[in-house]
Amino acid sequence: MGAPQRPGWFGFGFRGFGQALGSERGLRSSLHGPEPLVLEDIQEGDPAKAQAAVTDVCQVRPSWSFTGFLTRDWRLVLSGSVNGQLSGCRDALASEQHVLVLRMEVEGTPAEVQAWAAASELQGEPLWTWKILRQGDWEKDSGSGDQAGGHGGSPLDPALLPLVPEPGWYVSPRQPFSQPLAPELKARQLVLGAEHALLLGGMGQVYTWGTGRLGQLGHGALEAELEPRQVEALQGLAMAQVAAGGWHSLCVSEAGDLYIWGWNESGQLALPSRAIAEREKTVAGGDGELYTWGWGKYGQLGHKDTASLDQPQRVDYFTDNLLHVEAVICGPWNTYVYAVEGKN
Amino acid sequence: MSEASLSDNKMSATCSLSEELRALLPQTKEDFKLDFNEKVEKSVVVLLHQARELFYEGKKNECLKTSEIIRDYSWEKLNTGTWRDVDKEWRRVYSYGCLLKALCMCLKIDDIAEAIRVCDMGLLMGASILGNILVKVVNVLQKHLQHRKRPSETGIEELSKKKTKSNRTLTPAVKLGTAVPQLQCPSLEFFRKNYLVPQKPVILEGIANHWPCMKKWSLDYIQEIAGCRTVPVELGSKYTDEEWSQSLMTVSEFISKYIVNKENDIGYLAQHQLFDQIPELKQDICIPDYCCLGNGEEEDITINAWFGPAGTISPLHQDPQQNFLAQVLGRKYIQLYSPEESESLYPHETQLLHNTSQVDAENPNLIKFPKFTKASYQSCILNPGQILFIPVKYWHYVRALDISFSVSFWWS
Repeated sequence: MGAPQRPGWFGFGFRGFGQALGSERGLRSSLHGPEPLVLEDIQEGDPAKAQAAVTDVCQVRPSWSFTGFLTRDWRLVLSGSVNGQLSGCRDALASEQHVLVLRMEVEGTPAEVQAWAAASELQGEPLWTWKILRQGDWEKDSGSGDQAGGHGGSPLDPALLPLVPEPGWYVSPRQPFSQPLAPELKARQLVLGAEHALLLGGMGQVYTWGTGRLGQLGHGALEAELEPRQVEALQGLAMAQVAAGGWHSLCVSEAGDLYIWGWNESGQLALPSRAIAEREKTVAGGDGELYTWGWGKYGQLGHKDTASLDQPQRVDYFTDNLLHVEAVICGPWNTYVYAVEGKN
Repeated sequence: MSEASLSDNKMSATCSLSEELRALLPQTKEDFKLDFNEKVEKSVVVLLHQARELFYEGKKNECLKTSEIIRDYSWEKLNTGTWRDVDKEWRRVYSYGCLLKALCMCLKIDDIAEAIRVCDMGLLMGASILGNILVKVVNVLQKHLQHRKRPSETGIEELSKKKTKSNRTLTPAVKLGTAVPQLQCPSLEFFRKNYLVPQKPVILEGIANHWPCMKKWSLDYIQEIAGCRTVPVELGSKYTDEEWSQSLMTVSEFISKYIVNKENDIGYLAQHQLFDQIPELKQDICIPDYCCLGNGEEEDITINAWFGPAGTISPLHQDPQQNFLAQVLGRKYIQLYSPEESESLYPHETQLLHNTSQVDAENPNLIKFPKFTKASYQSCILNPGQILFIPVKYWHYVRALDISFSVSFWWS
């Protein structure tokens, strides 16, 4: 077990393209158990500065072959099959082909959504730009960090994208980059799967749309939906949060109950397989414990093996090291966790 | 034999297998072509090049790991969107992943069946690469596979005979006046003028009865040739049922679970291009000469296998091509309705099932589907050695009366 680990970001799972995940850069073999994340600052090779770069990671946006890291000084740093940096980024979405950023270069100027080809490594010009004329609420609220100079943000801040301050639209890291969204839905949260989307409405209702062949839309059949359609099975229950894997959907009610539906090939639904009621699931419990289940072939469940599970299992690394998990980000084949010192 | 020399034998068997497999591949890595269009992401192309490099350098373990990543990622692409929309390039990538994995697996005798399964996944879900190399690889692997015990000691044939007898009581009578005409070896011109052009069904005799499959094929023979091969099986009584699904299993498993022991649901190895997957079986069948009366090329003819226990049902439906249905093992009860009767057959309105009738032909709900009684039809019991000509878009309903193996030829 060793000495308790410092709080911060941790990673485990697939890193076949050398994307920053654990402590040693350059290794490509999968990490089967959590390790503290080390993200070297690309501009300086100084180890002391490299450590500083890690604590500055605010948010993580993983794609399959690379990961995007948003730092507290509003930089987006790419690591893996593509590298590169971009300043002034408040949020980002990554897909294998494109990186979408919400960019505000200078505090107080209007924000822009920019779509970059991942292969460009954020050099040159974006493929597509959209100036947001409305000022977002997030511009006034500078998060739980320092107030000075636009620095701030914390791993606990909710994601901004794919919603944008402009009502009637949302953005996607796959073309088309901007898509219409009915303002009447009063979207509080929007998440994207491989072929579908989930929306949390103003009153806690859940809407889904996209392709449904694997049951990920939750409407009882396998037909596709072009427009957001409310999930009737959840009617009457107020949801607090939604999430999406590649081909499955989740939501948590205000009361703390978790609902999951979609592709169950690897036990993602936490039911023994034989059901259609990113293949891995994780949940941070209210008391800071992390549970994972689903596809485990690349160690992305963090239980020091590659077994797949159809029942949630606690990731003991964090409890063993007296760490309190506060945030989890699931990449397609890996997991990033933010943990702080736990209360004894 | 001493233990030492036994393991020596195993070693040399493994070495010769490796050599035989290596001989199937291009000599140099430059000849091992990896050409893909822009649909395949650059990161994946990089992995494929790495895998090729590792293989030709003899680093099998590392190559195996890389090919697993390639397989897993392309597998996700194959499961995104409808199958129709899956880009062929991703299916090729998947095949490369399967090929390299099969080649790199530690080929102890125990691993050979698994390697065959991996190749079959590439054949079923992937697309042809390097001159259809996966078929050649499986061929070599199969030769090295030790024969395993047959599933039933008493012999599958005995059990199948027992089942045949018990089903004779369920044989339907062919209603007077509805019988499909039978012809003995008609000339091409006679068939064309009297059946193909006017689009009328007919049973052809004296054509298929001399095919090698008629004498050679039995459950034991199929088990021997194809037992270790993975095939798609339809589970559930009809494809129109909600409970219907598809599953992959070896032919051995299929025979033992769904043909010999009928405790389970109905399982049907249906509409599968088995003869592309297992060329050795293709040698036992022939393409009917009458197919040359069509417009298409011989290589465009789709040949499907239909293999299952008694009781499999294909609900009343129509196909977009002409069909010669050759019966090899067992008998099938078939009803045929002309396309002119379509209105009385209440086709489903959905896109997915618009070629399928809502009516259960042998047990119609006449309150829900009153016009069905007006639909005129023909029927027959198709016996081994006979070929049924089903004209394009002719509605047909098929129920197996015995353990049955049919081969269909779709042509235009």
